[in-house]
Amino acid sequence: MTDGDYDYLIKLLALGDSGVGKTTFLYRYTDNKFNPKFITTVGIDFREKRVIYSNAGPGGTHGKTFKVHLQLWDTAGQERFRSLTTAFFRDAMGFLLMFDLTSQQSFLNVRNWMSQLQANAYCENPDIVLIGNKADLSDQREVNERQAKELADKYGIPYFETSAASGQDVEKSVDTLLDLIMKRMEQCVDKTQVPDAVNGGTSGKLDEAKPEGRKCAC
Amino acid sequence: MDVTKNMELVNLNFLSDTERDLILHVLQRDEDLRKVEEKRIRRLRNELLDIRRKGAKRGSQRYSERACARCKNNMGRIAPKANTCRSCNHLVCKECRVDTTGGGWKCNVCSKEADLKKSTGDWFYDQRVNRFANRLGRDMVRMSLRQKPSANKRETTAQALLEFSQQLNEPKTRKAQRSPQQQHKSSGSPDLRDQKSDTESTEQMSLSSYKTDSKKSSPSTSRRNSLEKSATLQDAKRAQGPVGANVATLTVPVRSRDRHQSDSEGEALLGSRSAGSADESDTLFKKNPRRLLKPADYSKSVLDLRPEPAAPEENALGDRSKSVPRLNIEMEEEDEDIDNLVEIHRLSAGRSSLRSGASSSTLGSMISIYSEAGDFGNVIITGEIIFSINYDAKVQLLNILVKECRNLAYGDELKMRSNPYIKSYLLPDKSRQGKRKTTIKRNTTNPMYNEVLKYIVPESMLHLRSLELSVWHYDRFGRNTFLGQVDIPLDSWNFDSLIEECLPLHGKGNMDSGAGFYNSKGELVVSLKYVPPTKPSGSERRKKKADEGGELHVWIKEAKNLTAVKTGGISDSFVKGYLFPHKNKNTKRKTPVVKKTLNPHYNHTFVYNGIKPEDLQNVCLELTVWDREPLSSNDFLGGVRLGIGNGMSNGELVDWMDSTGEELSLWQKMRQYPGSWAEGTLQLRPSMAKQK
Repeated sequence: MTDGDYDYLIKLLALGDSGVGKTTFLYRYTDNKFNPKFITTVGIDFREKRVIYSNAGPGGTHGKTFKVHLQLWDTAGQERFRSLTTAFFRDAMGFLLMFDLTSQQSFLNVRNWMSQLQANAYCENPDIVLIGNKADLSDQREVNERQAKELADKYGIPYFETSAASGQDVEKSVDTLLDLIMKRMEQCVDKTQVPDAVNGGTSGKLDEAKPEGRKCAC
Repeated sequence: MDVTKNMELVNLNFLSDTERDLILHVLQRDEDLRKVEEKRIRRLRNELLDIRRKGAKRGSQRYSERACARCKNNMGRIAPKANTCRSCNHLVCKECRVDTTGGGWKCNVCSKEADLKKSTGDWFYDQRVNRFANRLGRDMVRMSLRQKPSANKRETTAQALLEFSQQLNEPKTRKAQRSPQQQHKSSGSPDLRDQKSDTESTEQMSLSSYKTDSKKSSPSTSRRNSLEKSATLQDAKRAQGPVGANVATLTVPVRSRDRHQSDSEGEALLGSRSAGSADESDTLFKKNPRRLLKPADYSKSVLDLRPEPAAPEENALGDRSKSVPRLNIEMEEEDEDIDNLVEIHRLSAGRSSLRSGASSSTLGSMISIYSEAGDFGNVIITGEIIFSINYDAKVQLLNILVKECRNLAYGDELKMRSNPYIKSYLLPDKSRQGKRKTTIKRNTTNPMYNEVLKYIVPESMLHLRSLELSVWHYDRFGRNTFLGQVDIPLDSWNFDSLIEECLPLHGKGNMDSGAGFYNSKGELVVSLKYVPPTKPSGSERRKKKADEGGELHVWIKEAKNLTAVKTGGISDSFVKGYLFPHKNKNTKRKTPVVKKTLNPHYNHTFVYNGIKPEDLQNVCLELTVWDREPLSSNDFLGGVRLGIGNGMSNGELVDWMDSTGEELSLWQKMRQYPGSWAEGTLQLRPSMAKQK
């Protein structure tokens, strides 16, 4: 299925409450199809997609294009799989944090998911996009856009309202996340300065309460 | 790393059978993807190695000031500033540049390195390692006794789970294994080993087989369960290459100990290894049967050397770090770049003994540097070595034709046997990259080699070098024995004469007095502070429980006059610390790398928690300075050990408690004045082998 003919393997992970539409979202993204049936995900699953990423040069100059193989991990939202799913957080380079625009509770839980991420991801401030799904069901909407936007701003992450049913902004949100990751990757590699004069770096104590800076920590 | 933690956390028992099957299916798909990815990464790394080999970044060569550091063409009159690569500080000509997105440029090697870091995902894995390593570092002393072999940095949860669940799946089949005799028979067969025809060093072989082996065993111990059931799966895992291998390699000696306790579970585990060798379905191992057998031999040798741990049921890691302290050093050192090393190994396995400095790093040599501690002076040195040297200035190639030796001493005096081989260094470079070896000749004291050892050295550097040829007896079950050496300063050598030299071998002692290379490795400035435990007050008591004991603060200030190992007389150095007796991940600390200087200011503090005041006479702080060599193995620049230096720890004789002089007095000063900094300037030891 995959041949290794790609430049980057980027691993993303979708998380959020049960039933917010993670699986259908990913299905829409990878296969551009919609499955209205609700089949609960058992633990974990993943989908793959090959995309072309073009690195927009500075000042609008033409950038290089890369073949990116995306591995999109889908996680079960159900509580009983929680220990299993959080264990997978550490392997992802970026996160699609989803909630259901028609469920206030799923939105309230975003905060919990965020702290789960901060505790279990590869670094304390990984790249995340916040996604309010089921935007097509406007008559059942419980979360308004302003609310969600504010929360996203608080975390300093982009926010999208998507619909797996219509396909609205599905691709855009994933592309945004990919772009964030690719930029971070460049940052990580580009830093040329030597981090010296750091006293106490390897103390073995993790600083739990770090403010969310968007700076690369590598 | 954190995988073990995850595995404890994630207990798949709560799943129903159907659910588990579903998940396993997903994990299997992930495995397939990972296989493809590993293959791709291997290809990328090889590409970089190619470029590096062509470039001149590595090695102690010196070039004309106006030469491009990559293609070595003269660049004529140019402004140095505008033509210096931002990343590596080398002058680089226009042809060897790659434009970066920011409008600047990098030289082709730096650019390729950056690309590789991105495309292999190393930018991500490196960060992740840092995060979870720190967290684990917390209660290192206590935890190290309980910890399982940690996995390599690329290991994913999916990978760990897949292995883990295989273990869960078939707990009953574990015992049904081959008999111990069979195992012995297959693993001990000398014939298989003797088939080895390449010039690979045996040490290297054994180590690389380590890795091959460990892949199978790490981190869950019973991969073999699935051998019969899902042979394809196993193939897949092994074929995935070096990546699964890593620190887990350290379990090998432990296992072989298990083997000796017949009817223990360890037997079954070990059986898995031998079974693997016999298993026809196992394509990878079929190709390379001797590799598989090696670990058993190697661990046997470890056993021979060290006393059996008193409590056999003691947890694996605990006695692992106790019984094979030396081994841990080297294996640990490799962990970051293990993939590359294996790559390099694979590359070099197919080649002749010609190796450019850049590409050949042998895992084994570190062992021998360290292991040189063991067997000096046991043998009365006799005999001579016959060789000739020539230098081809056109290709900057130094050829040492090792012809033969005569009248060597017996390495194994009991059996009146010697299996001699010749090892060479082009001093002052005693790094792995600088080592060359001949093949081993069996059971002879008059070995004929007729082998050429090659070095690439610029002519201008030749007179600064000195060739050391040492003769070693290869002992499969124990340490190799030193049979003598000769030192040839190349400054006065007449390269035009093609006359064979016949020099008598002498002992190590001459070397130390002869060349001043070894005495000046530079100094390390460190401050130590011991913070005693505070009395737990009522409200804090619970918290204290997890954190009892004091803290040892190690402030690595700077180093002076380090050895230069990179072009331009520089080194990119960092300091690594271990707190013996636990030489493992948990006591490992590193400073950031300080680039391009021989007088680096690290200004970095290591903290070890949970150290009781009485521990201070049982632990020993080892600080080693390394030259960072990304994508290859790091070069050892020197080290110190800080402890009470009485050769004892917890009532046992240990060879690492060997501090003397300033090392000792600094440690004592720290103990004497808890809570305050004790600073000292320490001479770096040229080798961490036991001091004489």
